[in-house]
Amino acid sequence: MTKHSTLSRAEGWRRRAPLLPALLFTILVTQVPFLLTVYYSTHSWNLVRPGSWEFVGLQNYLYVFRDSQFREVAMNTVILIVGTVLISALLGLGLALLLNRSFRGRGVVRTLLITPFLITPVAGALLWKTAMFDPVFGIVNFVLQPFGVGNFAWVSQFPLATVMVDLIWRWTPFMMLLILAGLQSMPEDVLEAGRVDGAGPIALFRELTLPHLRRFIELGVVLGAIYLVNTFGAIYMMTSGGPGVESANLPFYIYQRAFLGFEVGQAAAMGVVTVAATIVIAMLALRLIFKSFMGAQEAA
Amino acid sequence: MTDPALSGDTTSATVRDTPVAGSAAQSRSSADETRPRQRARRKHRGAAVIWAVLAWLAALVFFFPVLWMVLTAFKYERAAYTDPPTLWFSPTLEQFQAVLASGVGTTLLNSAFATLVSTTCVLVLGIPAAFALSLRPVKKTKDVLFFFLSTKMLPIVAVIVPLYVIVNRIGLLDNIWTLIILYTGMNLPIAIWMMRSFFLEVPAELLEAASMDGASLWTAVRRVILPLVSPGIAATALICVIFSWNEFFFAVNLTAVRAQTAPVSLVGFITGEGLFWARLSAASTLAALPVVIAGWVAQNKLVRGLSFGAIK
Amino acid sequence: MATIAYQTASCLYEGAANPAVDRLTLEVDDGEFIVLVGPSGSGKSTALRMLAGLEDIDEGNITINGKDMVGVPSKDRDIAMVFQNYALYPSMTVAENMGFALKMRGVPAGERRRQVEQAAELLDLSDFLDRKPAKLSGGQRQRVAMGRAIVREPQVFCMDEPLSNLDAKLRVQTRTQIAALQRRLGTTTVYVTHDQVEAMTMGDRVAVLKDGKLQQFAAPTELYDAPVNAFVAGFIGSPAMNLVPALVTSEGVQLGESTLPLERDRLAALHRQELSSVTVGLRPEQLEVVPAGQGIDVRIDLVEELGSESYVHAHLVDDRGGASTRLVARSHRRAPGRLGETIGLRHGAGSVHVFHPDTGARIDGEEMSARVGTGV
Ligand SMILES: Nc1ncnc2c1ncn2[C@@H]1O[C@H](COP(=O)(O)OP(=O)(O)OP(=O)(O)O)[C@@H](O)[C@H]1O
Ligand SMILES: [Mg+2]
Repeated sequence: MTKHSTLSRAEGWRRRAPLLPALLFTILVTQVPFLLTVYYSTHSWNLVRPGSWEFVGLQNYLYVFRDSQFREVAMNTVILIVGTVLISALLGLGLALLLNRSFRGRGVVRTLLITPFLITPVAGALLWKTAMFDPVFGIVNFVLQPFGVGNFAWVSQFPLATVMVDLIWRWTPFMMLLILAGLQSMPEDVLEAGRVDGAGPIALFRELTLPHLRRFIELGVVLGAIYLVNTFGAIYMMTSGGPGVESANLPFYIYQRAFLGFEVGQAAAMGVVTVAATIVIAMLALRLIFKSFMGAQEAA
Repeated sequence: MTDPALSGDTTSATVRDTPVAGSAAQSRSSADETRPRQRARRKHRGAAVIWAVLAWLAALVFFFPVLWMVLTAFKYERAAYTDPPTLWFSPTLEQFQAVLASGVGTTLLNSAFATLVSTTCVLVLGIPAAFALSLRPVKKTKDVLFFFLSTKMLPIVAVIVPLYVIVNRIGLLDNIWTLIILYTGMNLPIAIWMMRSFFLEVPAELLEAASMDGASLWTAVRRVILPLVSPGIAATALICVIFSWNEFFFAVNLTAVRAQTAPVSLVGFITGEGLFWARLSAASTLAALPVVIAGWVAQNKLVRGLSFGAIK
Repeated sequence: MATIAYQTASCLYEGAANPAVDRLTLEVDDGEFIVLVGPSGSGKSTALRMLAGLEDIDEGNITINGKDMVGVPSKDRDIAMVFQNYALYPSMTVAENMGFALKMRGVPAGERRRQVEQAAELLDLSDFLDRKPAKLSGGQRQRVAMGRAIVREPQVFCMDEPLSNLDAKLRVQTRTQIAALQRRLGTTTVYVTHDQVEAMTMGDRVAVLKDGKLQQFAAPTELYDAPVNAFVAGFIGSPAMNLVPALVTSEGVQLGESTLPLERDRLAALHRQELSSVTVGLRPEQLEVVPAGQGIDVRIDLVEELGSESYVHAHLVDDRGGASTRLVARSHRRAPGRLGETIGLRHGAGSVHVFHPDTGARIDGEEMSARVGTGV
């Protein structure tokens, strides 16, 4: 018996070996810096004031929670993510349905549609800010001219909304691709069975197609949210978080604190708070992705 | 959702079968019969046209900003700022020449280097890991997968401060290798998830058959498994390439001159004396081009990768 | 050429309450074709995979040619396996699939090609050597899987339901081909199936498994003639043996109004065990349809006509037990009776099988039990 169990221990290590480099690397690159963040967050430290290193306990956190700007920024972050994800999922669903029928030039249409997802975010943000939303020379005002819109300054009037437009433009193609893939993996015989059972197009969509798409929409929402939490370039380029912090999200605000204000301790504390909040939300999202993906893969 | 097209086809077949010639009475009765069908066909065909037009419109709306950027890149600065915007202009390569002269070439090379090396690292680390989480699963596979995915939930901003301090202390600020390490860490979790899903599609029996045929594990993986999952690996690599090439946050905070990447170089075009939109457009076009073309060419791979192998 | 021995070999899957294979003991002679048979989940595949080195031997041992196999990786066991889904390498051509093992062994390309072509000829695959498996029919894939095994000239063939993906006709055809091929090559073979017809027709000896435990290991005829327990009796033979409860009387066992006589020493055995009722096993093919009153009276529920013969499904007319006892008889006549009609069934040639009502173990007279092989 002992002989066998030592053998299987060796087998266990043989199986684990290929995993270890990736695991160690990931821990080193993500977890170690995060622990340092936690450590820094209990210190007062200003990068440009030498000798300012001092243990202050939870004082930075107190500061963060008293900071009304931080609350506003946190709210902005939530609006940005939820709004962008929901709108792009809806638009993506619509586009996917349009593309799921054959027509002349479907391949070209798909190619054109996915382009925003591929464009460098910084370039995309610049594009929206200057070519599209410019009060005088922008295309948006040009198009809206017949409707009595003059030289409206979109970006300074609605900073958060214009950032969202850029993000939705970028993420709708992503959602569309996923949902389209879902539509195309829909087994045709199921639809035929439904049709034979007397379901009309709307009933078919609601009862069969949409449930089938659920996994794909969920995946799109979760992945989209993961990447949108880290939105930075768009804000940096379009509004610089302004006016005030009206269009800043957490990454941008923390960046300002750390690299423009050099308040490392405070920035670290904000980072930790962001992570805590993300973890709460992420647990729900992770549960979702795990349920719908592990389940499906094991069933398959 | 395909029934209009389908029933459209069937009706058209029936219509074609009805005789055209014949006695007046006959033709009238057959006309009576087919009129509702024809109407239905016309309606379906009309609907199909409307949907197609809608799809094209949507595509143009989404693509227009990009098209405009590319057009602007060929304008003189004067023509870039007009009210109303001009579609007809005399094209010039002046902007591209200026952009290339200003050293964008180096930043493009930096981006390419960081992207390719980090993607290679992701594959080198990720393929064995994905294997260990699928075909020869370790115990606690679920926990490990959960860990990898949860690191993606960690906002990058939470680690930027210590990263800056560490990198600064060990003198790797403005060094392309810093970005390579970080991009590898950034893409690795998602890549492992994607590749795992491709590995899961491979029947485990293949590995067993190969080992019975006397192949070592390494040979079995190389000869039997990798050829099967290589499309999936390519898809994963493409997605890593897109995300690394377009990455901005790390690049802007941790590089300055030497290791500057293409997205960061765009910032340089807005500061200074005012905004040169045509020149900026040329620079943006150059910065975006490689990934856009890669994505266009490999759209099907993109879909497969993004759907985590749920789509064959 | 090899002998194989399972010595109280067990395999327990992680998290499972009971071992999938429980203290299996089997000895396979050199060149023998043995079949592992049993219902789904009985541990057949697991037992085979233990031999192939694809599953750990958690307890006990397996030897090949007397050599201990615990801890020997499958690639060093010189075993070829044909998988249920064939497990052909999709990225390689038929020839490359068949030659892969030789390549791994370092056989030079020319020699490899020669051996592959030889095997292909044997299996009628010569025209497909340059195709990929995806472009073959199910039957051709099956033959490639066989070819991959025989090219290697291994010590042992392992086959796990290699015919289950074929249609009925092809299955019968391939069945005889595999058996003939094995006779010709003389390679010791362990073959897994859940199909008792395959087991009976192909195996030199057949091992019947249930819940990971070996029930009986014997030649097909012996399994048929003297099943060691009610499970084996019910599993081997088609249609399945009738297993009905009966009362023990002084002359034999009573079914309905009629009594089936038993030999003296079997009666003695029953009395020795103080059994008042037993399970009686009657093969459908040994029940003859006769006019009512001349045998066990039954009422017909259903007649299945197969053309050459017919199966009569019926229940006992006078069933004192309350629960109606069902019987199946095979008749060589067409339409031996109508629905609802009462007929008689007479037990013809061959012996009545008697099993313990609780344990299901076979009960034999003195000289019989000496003859019946071991098991359990
Ligand atoms: N990988 C596994 N992990 C846990 N339990 C398993 C595993 N594989 C098989 N089992 C269990 O072991 C028992 C025997 O399985 P095995 O595959 O040997 O059955 P089998 O006789 O081949 O059945 P079938 O005719 O359906 O193929 C079953 O109860 C099964 O549920
Ligand atoms: Mg099996």
